[in-house]
Amino acid sequence: MPDWKSYAREHLPALGLSGPREREVVEELAQQLEQAYAEALADNLGPQRAAERAMAQFADWPALAAEIRRAELPVKETIARHVPEHWKLAATEQQVRTRWGGSMVADFVHDLRFAFRMLRKNWGFALLAIGMLAFGIGANSAIFTIVDTLALRPLPYHDPSGLLSIESREAHHAEQAPWISMLDLVDLRQRTQSFTALAGISPVWNDVVTGQGDAERLETLYVSADFFPTLGVQPTVGRTFTPDEDRLGAGARVVLLSYAYWQTHFGSDSLVVGRALDVNGAPFTIVGVLPRDFRYLGEPIAGTSGKINLWFPLSANQIAGTPRFVRFLKVIGRVKPGVSGVQAREDLRSAGATLAKQYPDTDAGVEWDAAPLGERISGRVRPMMLLLMGAVGLVLVMACANVANLLLTIAVSRGKEVAVRAALGASRWRLLRQFLAESFALAALGTLAGIALAYALLRLLVSAAPASLLEGRTITLDSRAMLFTVGAAIACALFSGAPPAWRILRADLANGLRETGRGFTGGHHRFRAGLVVAQISLALALLVGAALLTRGFVRLLDVNPGFDAARVATISTLLPAGVTHAPDALAMDRALLDQLAQVPGVQSAGAVSRLPLLGGNLGSWIWVEGHSYAPGEHTSVEYRVASPSYFATMGIPLRLGRAFDEHDSVNAGGVAVINDSAARAFWAGQSPIGKRIKLGANPEKQDWIMVVGVIGDVHQFGLDAQSSPEVYRPLAASPLFNPYLVVRTNGDAASLLPSLPGAVHAVSSAMPVYDSFSMAALIERSTAQRRFLLLLLAGFAASALFLAAAGIYGTISQSVAQRTQEMGLRMALGASRTNVLQMVLSQGLRLALAGILLGAAGSALLTRFVRSLLFHVSPLDPAAFAIAGVSLLAVALLACAIPALRATRVDPLVALRHE
Amino acid sequence: MQSEVKKGSAEVLILSLIEARPRHGYEIAKLIEERSGGVIEFHVASLYPMLYRLEKRGWIEGRWLEKAGQRRRRYYRLTAAGRKALPEQRRSWREFIRAIQDVAQVESA
Repeated sequence: MPDWKSYAREHLPALGLSGPREREVVEELAQQLEQAYAEALADNLGPQRAAERAMAQFADWPALAAEIRRAELPVKETIARHVPEHWKLAATEQQVRTRWGGSMVADFVHDLRFAFRMLRKNWGFALLAIGMLAFGIGANSAIFTIVDTLALRPLPYHDPSGLLSIESREAHHAEQAPWISMLDLVDLRQRTQSFTALAGISPVWNDVVTGQGDAERLETLYVSADFFPTLGVQPTVGRTFTPDEDRLGAGARVVLLSYAYWQTHFGSDSLVVGRALDVNGAPFTIVGVLPRDFRYLGEPIAGTSGKINLWFPLSANQIAGTPRFVRFLKVIGRVKPGVSGVQAREDLRSAGATLAKQYPDTDAGVEWDAAPLGERISGRVRPMMLLLMGAVGLVLVMACANVANLLLTIAVSRGKEVAVRAALGASRWRLLRQFLAESFALAALGTLAGIALAYALLRLLVSAAPASLLEGRTITLDSRAMLFTVGAAIACALFSGAPPAWRILRADLANGLRETGRGFTGGHHRFRAGLVVAQISLALALLVGAALLTRGFVRLLDVNPGFDAARVATISTLLPAGVTHAPDALAMDRALLDQLAQVPGVQSAGAVSRLPLLGGNLGSWIWVEGHSYAPGEHTSVEYRVASPSYFATMGIPLRLGRAFDEHDSVNAGGVAVINDSAARAFWAGQSPIGKRIKLGANPEKQDWIMVVGVIGDVHQFGLDAQSSPEVYRPLAASPLFNPYLVVRTNGDAASLLPSLPGAVHAVSSAMPVYDSFSMAALIERSTAQRRFLLLLLAGFAASALFLAAAGIYGTISQSVAQRTQEMGLRMALGASRTNVLQMVLSQGLRLALAGILLGAAGSALLTRFVRSLLFHVSPLDPAAFAIAGVSLLAVALLACAIPALRATRVDPLVALRHE
Repeated sequence: MQSEVKKGSAEVLILSLIEARPRHGYEIAKLIEERSGGVIEFHVASLYPMLYRLEKRGWIEGRWLEKAGQRRRRYYRLTAAGRKALPEQRRSWREFIRAIQDVAQVESA
């Protein structure tokens, strides 16, 4: 006998009833079959015929299932009969879910599956929404990754919270870079109790390595022995410095290699320890190799940390033995466990006060300060990073608003479906969850696409970002970025799903079944208008920000650097280590200038101790004749050495007197050229020509120097940095061991760069060449961070403009579509097409204007926070606000024009017949 | 209307059949077929949904009963509500039949 139960179970489609009930039905139907079969057998039919007769009773199983379902479920038959198939599906799914026992996960999975099915039905809409979310999420992930790496995450050192950056400044020269002298550091170690270690770091040093192929100039650092243990750095090979190797006055000739240098110059040979490296002509023993990912991110190498190739003990530096007034160190400290930053700072200050009493000549008026190292490091880029994060965040909010708007449109068009499902017994909560599942499904797909986009975008950004910003750090989408992305995606889903969900919660579902379904759809216009206004105001904020930065940047590029950068190229070198006497150095400097002047295409060549826009400078104290100085009072100036031809070659204008000439060389010293700022600062209202000054820490030991010329101010440290008083001495008075050479060319400066190293090597092949640029490239490099920020912000502003346009277009189109009848009626009653056009446009413009006003008010409050990024532009710059407002208005008008024109083409008759 | 008539007739039949004592599905189907002498075209397939509908409505109640040596079967009996509804159903049914007859007579006359 056939197994009728399994036969019934196999043939009856799932009913969507509870498990036990479903089994009951199967059993009952099976019995019907079984009994009919038994009876047929009794009628002497063969088993085959008997089975056929039994089966014939239930020929159409799906119809039977539908009938049973209808009977079993609390369905108003009138509704059920008119429900489209896919809505019925929804109702069934709803029941299936109940049967599964209603676990949270199963619910969620089920909701998502249904959501994906709905999205497939509306694939055009889904693609649009996913695209917008992908863009918003992708851009956010990429920017977050950069911001996180550069400004948010803790420093990659052992216990970074315990690291302090320690600085001292002269109170009346607060503008000078804070450095600490070697002797002060030694005293501080003894006189403070709060620190387990105080490590000193030299300025970036240039050392020449020979014996490894061509002489190579390398950027190096000299650090005290406790530097690496303080940061918790374990060398990859060998060891770091011992305290014995860093004894003051007896620095050992040992060297640590950077990982990159080890790879390129020693082929990652693990037996490198103990080998010698010729540095400045003397052998240094290699003691270890630093880890691959080690970068010191703090001063003095902030911005160039990837370039340091060799590390030496601080005491091995020639200026380690300099007197107390020579301040050249950066100092980091690690606080003892249990000591707070405030306590450490107090401790430091009281030690500083003791020093001031003990050494009033050098330490009186010096202020000591300590701040968390992480803050010092990320503080440089934090305003920029926060601006980027804020901007890209706004873009995401706008994308979400657009998706919310789209979802709302879809929800409204599904008003009847919602009503039917409510009538079929779906609770509000159930419907709410379904709508949220749809926005989650969108967000999930958007996130997947967004992550791919983030990868691409991040690669693009990392390759386009200025080196000074990224410092060679690896920036990848790591787990933190993924966590952020997922968080952003969930926020997107909630935010974009909220408006339709809100409508469900508030809608009059019971009346939703009426023909127009208004119970669900009514009153959404005001909400959508609100969304659009909010979008426009956000877009305005971004546009204002971009406009402010752009105007600032244009002004920055307009800044006269103080020299004529066109057709000037530069190259730097170091005299061979064997050259130690000034006359030899002078001869080599002159030979270098001669060689460069002979390079075809070169008009003139000059040399200077520090080139504009290329790193720092050491200052000097200046003593002006006729000025009486109180004890301890002194004034600092920038100090430079220049060859006679330097000013003309650079195109730095001579204001008064004369530049240096060859005569100054014979009559070594005795003369100086100053800049405008110095003239104003020291001889305001009179001519400085012929006035006398002394330089240095001990004026009584110095000869008088006469000012013979005044040149224009040069922006030495960047177009956005103020010029400070400068004094130039002639090359002959202080020959350059590390000359920065400049040439003025007949043609393109950049194309001449390859021929410059030959001229240097013609003097001595033992001299390295480096820092070879056209001056124009240097200017561009000095603005690279601002340019990068500007490009990004402009990109975000453009995206915002596009998203706002899409938002306003969508809303106006929707409104026009729903008012087709009204338009037709108006036109039938005599309204002209112009009237209709005006009506639609004014509706859009009202929204745009409201958004612009709101956005302008918000921007006015916000832009002050980016003041530090603006160059010579007020945060309330009216032009920037006007540009932003007008462009947004124009785009809004354009976005409204399309639906407005569509409205004018409404045929009154068709419109009235509609519905 | 046709289907409503059919359904109404079948419902009255079912309710009447189990008025005296509970019966199971197969029995009900068999009785309808026999008593109407084949006049009422009745599909077994529509019996069970109808039973379930009546049950949902609270007029009948199904219960699994086991008799010695037999498989358990689901027996349907009339509930109090069903008992109360039956006369009303019968009346409206008769009225309907009468109306049909009236129309039919007018037509044939």
